[in-house]
Amino acid sequence: MRPQAIGAPVLQRLPRIYWALAALVLIGIASVPQFRTVSNLANVLDQSATLAILALGQAFVIAGGMIDLSVGQLVGLITVVACMLFQAFPDMSLLVVAGCLALAAMIGLINGELINRLRMSPLILTFGMLSVLQGLIFMFTDRSIGQVAPSIAFLANGRLLGIPVSLFLVALVAFAAWYGLQRSIFGWHLLAMGNSADSARKAGLNLYGLIRIAYLVSGLCAGLAALLVAGRLGTGFPNAGNGLELDAIVAVVLGGTPLKGGRVSVVGILGAVLFLGVLNNLLNLLQVPAFTQIVVKGLIVIAAILADRPGRLAQPA
Amino acid sequence: MSAVASPLPEGMRLPSLEKAAVWIVLAILLLLAGLTSDAFFKFNYLANLVRQAAPVGITAVGVTFVMLLRGVDLSVGAIVSMSAVVCALVMDGKAENLWLGIAAASACGAAIGLANGLIIAHGKVSAFIVTLGMSIVVYGLVQMGTGGTARGIVSPGFREAMNSRILGNTLPVLVVCLLAAVAVGIFLQSRTRFGRGVYLVGANPDAARLAGLPVARITVVAYIVSGLFAGLGGLALLARTGVSGTNPGAGMEFDVLAAVVLGGTTFAGGRGSVGGTFAGVMVLFIALNLANVAGLPFAAQLTIKGLIIIAASAAHSWIGSRGSGRSQE
Repeated sequence: MRPQAIGAPVLQRLPRIYWALAALVLIGIASVPQFRTVSNLANVLDQSATLAILALGQAFVIAGGMIDLSVGQLVGLITVVACMLFQAFPDMSLLVVAGCLALAAMIGLINGELINRLRMSPLILTFGMLSVLQGLIFMFTDRSIGQVAPSIAFLANGRLLGIPVSLFLVALVAFAAWYGLQRSIFGWHLLAMGNSADSARKAGLNLYGLIRIAYLVSGLCAGLAALLVAGRLGTGFPNAGNGLELDAIVAVVLGGTPLKGGRVSVVGILGAVLFLGVLNNLLNLLQVPAFTQIVVKGLIVIAAILADRPGRLAQPA
Repeated sequence: MSAVASPLPEGMRLPSLEKAAVWIVLAILLLLAGLTSDAFFKFNYLANLVRQAAPVGITAVGVTFVMLLRGVDLSVGAIVSMSAVVCALVMDGKAENLWLGIAAASACGAAIGLANGLIIAHGKVSAFIVTLGMSIVVYGLVQMGTGGTARGIVSPGFREAMNSRILGNTLPVLVVCLLAAVAVGIFLQSRTRFGRGVYLVGANPDAARLAGLPVARITVVAYIVSGLFAGLGGLALLARTGVSGTNPGAGMEFDVLAAVVLGGTTFAGGRGSVGGTFAGVMVLFIALNLANVAGLPFAAQLTIKGLIIIAASAAHSWIGSRGSGRSQE
């Protein structure tokens, strides 16, 4: 409780990732002329939309001290299923969208329910589910199939008044996540569970319900992200979601939410997603070889987890 | 060693059902397999099955130690790739480079394990994310090293020697290698101070620290062992295929983890054994082989693998909740 200058609280409460983001943007502006263009900026936002939604969903499970490794393959499954249905029923795209979102939410709910009933570690359960879903995808198809409805393509790639349409969707999801996690009773209870499941149980919280809803939200967000992926690709690519779960977890951790749960920052997660998007964009613009980019990303994962160490630079919740 | 968790002294314990569980599953599965195809009862077929399992089996022995320690190592798939690629590049098709290649591959595996161990032990961070990140780094390094195409040639004689059979042309050399790795693992686990330390740290890290055990050192050594065995697993894979693709070990960490969990080593640490892991590897390979014999497509095999992981883990936590009330992870 040191005395603080006026205005300092805002800067202090700004998640640390924004400093890294600012540094990255400055480097980009200084070194790459194409980086400064408006179309490039819109491009970065477009590309980041999928990850943003996925990471916000993942934040619900991580805030509660759990993890969901199945979201990557869930994105793949929904992408494939959606594109197959869009092609089969071109006139009923709204119904297909609703059906796909319901399917994704249901798979999330199954995750939560199995964790409750089998009393399993979420890590191993969703890890097994990853393999199950991957198998399911390849039972449907081993190549790209189907096509996407024009409305979904517009959602993923379109511009409204020069602003990417996907940005509106992200803003909507982010507001819902911010309210759900940081302003609602549900979020309060979820964070309590993340802090200490034992204490939360003793305080009379319904942990089963919390787990169920957290995974349902994670699945639902994976479904939304899958629609964006389908819109961008224009077809159902079975490997579309490979590795996305890791990207989402990294974004959540980089955004200042510890893997143990109990603390969450939606604003931080958005910053982290932007950071990863800008980094990707810069590495591409600087023509860094693809394989070197992989190494850089792996090193960032390790650096992120080291920066997340408990007890270091502890922030107020 | 699980006398640590048991309230009874070593001699008075009943043979635990949990330890026998995986062997029972193995016996039943083998019986079922034999009923569908009598090939499963032929020594040659079984030896071949074990031979196929060698890369995953050898790697799983090392991973057992980090799992006993409450850790996890997801970088082993990438290490297997790296080991195979490095070995083939160093051998470069020359007979005199044979041992150099083997040494280089093992050293690379151990070095990655060392890096994992140091970060996890001294950074006190989630092993899961660190080893996942490491697997990405190693994968990228392998791709940079190969330039994205299969390069390197194994020494003449390497592949032939590893795929030959000894004892009157019956026992494949790779089976001997796997059994040797398991034997070394069992020795490390039950006859060394390191092995005892791994169990104690895994059962209760705080108590181990208070008791004055060198927790950090044991952790680092366990990850080195895991990396080293993954390196050896890469050699076994290279011996089987003879060429190093760009990423031959892709996804192998999933098989390894499934096998270790099946074998009774839980994510909660402190329980399990190398012997159980061997049985787990065999269960996994017989199940996949059965799926193959039954003509199921690759996709179904993926799904079966996932279901096996979930079912095995659920069974163990169910057994655990009957017993001493395992703390939820």
